[in-house]
Amino acid sequence: MDTRKYIDSLFSDYEETSALIDFKEELRSFLDERIKALVKSGMDENEAFKKATNELGDMSAVADEISRKKKQEILAEMYMKTRHYMSTWRIALYILCGTVFGFGIIVAALSGFFTGDINASLGSLLVFGVIPVLGFLFLWLTQETATHEPMDWKRALMYVIAAGVFLFGVIVFIITYFEDSAGLPYAIATLIPFILPSSAFGAFLILTEKDRSKPWVKKQREEYIKRSRERFGDPAQEERFGLFSGALWIAAIAAFILLTMLFGLKFSWLAIAAALIGQMLILATFTKTK
Amino acid sequence: MEPKLSSDLLRGHTDTIVLAMLMNGDRYGLEIYNRILERTGGQYELKVDTLYSSYKRLEKGGYITSYWGDETQGARRKYYRITDKGRELYRQNMLNWEFTLKILNNLLKEEK
Repeated sequence: MDTRKYIDSLFSDYEETSALIDFKEELRSFLDERIKALVKSGMDENEAFKKATNELGDMSAVADEISRKKKQEILAEMYMKTRHYMSTWRIALYILCGTVFGFGIIVAALSGFFTGDINASLGSLLVFGVIPVLGFLFLWLTQETATHEPMDWKRALMYVIAAGVFLFGVIVFIITYFEDSAGLPYAIATLIPFILPSSAFGAFLILTEKDRSKPWVKKQREEYIKRSRERFGDPAQEERFGLFSGALWIAAIAAFILLTMLFGLKFSWLAIAAALIGQMLILATFTKTK
Repeated sequence: MEPKLSSDLLRGHTDTIVLAMLMNGDRYGLEIYNRILERTGGQYELKVDTLYSSYKRLEKGGYITSYWGDETQGARRKYYRITDKGRELYRQNMLNWEFTLKILNNLLKEEK
């Protein structure tokens, strides 16, 4: 076996940094010369190769020092796998929801045009718009992805009920508002039986939600937190960084609105640009110098 | 009874052994490996990864530097050279070792 190929296979999991290329070359000359010496002492070539490579030991510790494991590739592989989470019946349901939704939009638009009555459109939206939206919600929540575990279907159903009542409430609100010119007070009154309880239930569900991230995502997140810790030094510093940035952006948005009113959009965007520069400067001052 | 070499004990001193090999001139990787095998009479099963971990560690710490030799024939070799900081570390490690050896011998002696 060729020593170059052998060494390449040893480090195939590592990023090809210049340090690693250098090390591989060094190791190759080491191995070649060692094999030559063993052959000279009377071993046959295969035996010499076996002995020399056996003497290497576990090179991963050295490789860890000079290069990193190829992380991107692992991530890419994980994302590629998303397709595996899509079973045929799920794909069919997604498409069905999409089609019904499209149908609902067209019917709503047509009935709106022909009758000139907004309630006709809303009525068809109530049936053909809300149902596929709820279908999407259910599919999305119970969908396993590369980064998340799927939600339990019972819990997903509760979300769907909350969302369904909420959307029903929204449409009832609009219909009441336009119907019989009942006006705003009546429309607001409809909030009580539908929107209010469904919002409360939805909020309860969201607040009691568990983290469904997959283990590798959690690990990645922890690493990110650790790295930002290292960058900012201590948590208090990071907090100050957050406060400064927050203040900067509130000021920037205020300036943007003010400038838009005074001089128009032609000049007001400068406030956002200035804030971006300010943000970079804040980051630069807060980042720990080594 | 035949005496046996304690490879673990030797492995703990790889850095100092490498520094010792470089005290009297630059050497390349395999040269150091061969010398260690020779001087231990083939008793020490030194693995190459142990040696290279040591090179990398010492180089990172600034105790040794490395450069590619300009061999006109055959494979290129990477040479290692000890720095002043490395010489300092070597002397310190030798002092530590002699001191430790004295105490260890004392501890290992049969009590009377």
